[in-house]
Amino acid sequence: MNQPKILIFACKWCGLIGADAAGKKRISLPALFRVIPVECAALVETDAIIRALAGGVDGIAVLGCHIGGCRYNNANHTAIKRMELLKDLLDTTGIGSNRLLFSFGTAHEDYQFEEIVKNFFDELVLLPPIDPWL
Amino acid sequence: MANITVFLCRCFGEIDSAIDFDLLREELSKDTSVSSLSIVDSVCLETDIKKAASQLKESKADRVLIAACSTLLRGNLPVDGLIKEGVERHKIGLVDIREGCAWIHGDDPEGAAKKAKDLINMGLAALRYREASEDMCVTVNPDALVIGTGPAGLAAATSLAKTGFKVNILERANAPGGMLRLISRCYPDNEDASDKLEPYIREVENNPLITFYPQSKIASIEGDTGNFTVQFSSQGKDNSIQSGIIIIATGAKIFFPTGLYRYGEIKNVITQMEFERQILNGSLKTKKTVFIQCVGARDRERPYCSTICCPISLKNAARIVENVPGGRAFILHRGIMTPGNTLEKYYRDTLSKGVQFIRFEEEQPPQIIGSDHVESVEVYDAVTGITRKIETDLVVLSTPLVPNNDNTRLAQMLGIEVDRYGFFSEIYPMHPLETKTDGIFICGSARWPVASDQAILQGKAAAMKAVSYLRQSTIAASTLSRVPGLKSGHACVDADACTGCGNCVAACPFKACHLEKLEGRYISTVNMMKCKACGSCVSVCPNGTIQIPEHNYRMVGEMIKRAF
Repeated sequence: MNQPKILIFACKWCGLIGADAAGKKRISLPALFRVIPVECAALVETDAIIRALAGGVDGIAVLGCHIGGCRYNNANHTAIKRMELLKDLLDTTGIGSNRLLFSFGTAHEDYQFEEIVKNFFDELVLLPPIDPWL
Repeated sequence: MANITVFLCRCFGEIDSAIDFDLLREELSKDTSVSSLSIVDSVCLETDIKKAASQLKESKADRVLIAACSTLLRGNLPVDGLIKEGVERHKIGLVDIREGCAWIHGDDPEGAAKKAKDLINMGLAALRYREASEDMCVTVNPDALVIGTGPAGLAAATSLAKTGFKVNILERANAPGGMLRLISRCYPDNEDASDKLEPYIREVENNPLITFYPQSKIASIEGDTGNFTVQFSSQGKDNSIQSGIIIIATGAKIFFPTGLYRYGEIKNVITQMEFERQILNGSLKTKKTVFIQCVGARDRERPYCSTICCPISLKNAARIVENVPGGRAFILHRGIMTPGNTLEKYYRDTLSKGVQFIRFEEEQPPQIIGSDHVESVEVYDAVTGITRKIETDLVVLSTPLVPNNDNTRLAQMLGIEVDRYGFFSEIYPMHPLETKTDGIFICGSARWPVASDQAILQGKAAAMKAVSYLRQSTIAASTLSRVPGLKSGHACVDADACTGCGNCVAACPFKACHLEKLEGRYISTVNMMKCKACGSCVSVCPNGTIQIPEHNYRMVGEMIKRAF
């Protein structure tokens, strides 16, 4: 049974608050994900995501604040555009855009974080494990 | 080379009941960069911070990793305590193994233990490769500058002066008071407008800390938080002042509804301001007045509500009914906006005085009938479906407040933004009187249409916010985070590698980067006062020149390598 590994870049505000809230509610989640907190989703570079995929991580999630709610003057708008472009790139190169999930605004409540993680796991389980080439 | 001290927190059993600490202890003993490992019951309550800090300084270990709860990630007692004892911020690493591990994987002890081990390894890697940003300290000029002397500006300036700060005021007109000078009475208590202004104007005249510059025109504003230089002319003479903060209270202007309801074409169709002027100079002559609301507001061009026009009509309609023998007043509206307790009561009182309210729809506006002066108004009453013809000798149009013409120019000089209508933008949602540039505040109708009571309140609030900057003799750029706690760092440019492409300049949401010509080429330079370490520049840099040292590329790569 495929055990997908997920790396989550969560912005320190909405993203991480949702993750913390899920923790405070003791919501049970699959253990194969790791969270890297970042100041803002704008700090997440495509380079880091590709490196993670190349290192054997099956899925990457980027969580940021909702449109209009970024405390860095809408820096998350640029981040969203970057993620969309990255999705196209992943499709073109055959890696598949379904390995990248980004959610801007729907991860700041505990049940939303739980849904995102569990749904992502369910999707990735159906895919073959990624072949690490680093 | 072992130089990291690790604290593992049990959190009184919350963490080690789900995660096998013996396994962790075994793994960490194999790691050569860990010099010592302490398992404590509670890092926040039980650890002797002084002892821990002094132990750190004595031993070879110069970095510390704390694996505990997520509360620590937002800065808290142990971290602040260690910093106070002299441990540098970038040498303290934090890993969340409670909310992030123990509490969500209680049913999978094997997975939880592996995850905790991985998270701690990631934290150790982060700590090894993390670097420190630079910081910048500026001396704060203790003087304040207030631009505009309507009720908002006057309230701000007098509050600052009474708190003991020197205040310079720039006013475009030749006397203070703003739009309140053109009004006879204020709602809802019918207070005389000049009585309302009087104590503030007296304070401006008598307080030696306040300097008033009438007839001023601003030429340029330069500088940054804590040190602004403003070049202006006042009464024809050029001048320049230094200031630690700036409060914008430039107000708004009236919209003249040329082309609407035959304004300008026919006599006796006037605006509310002209109504006030006629009261002040005694030329008002009317027995049957019709007020029309939302003229040029809440429509396609200006889809906002200007907040003050409905209460103003209530005030003026009541005056007609009470002071003119046999006087009658009609208010034609698309919804009376009188929120809150006081204004709702004001509306009901006006109703009981005999003022008539008729609701019309936007698609069927009232028609002005008359040849060279207004004789009647025909309106389709949307509630009853009856078209009514009201004989009248005066039609008063309620128009919205609109932004001043030079808001955009002033905003550019200050480095702040205006919203889609042209009013100055606040930082939504939690800093209603602050702008993108720290130390520049907005209040009154320059920010959004308000009446004098609210303007005064906002002016005082802006003044007190300003005091929190002015009372410091120096400000460190790292403290300008707008939340409790310091910024996480500043962007840093490797000058040798920078190609001057300008991506960071375009990407920065705070305009903190600019290109400077050094040694014959363009190199990006970061203004630390403006940088908030969001990282937008980092992800657009083509060769990794600009980074945030506390979250650099090498560190992220090493964390990813050890994630699983």
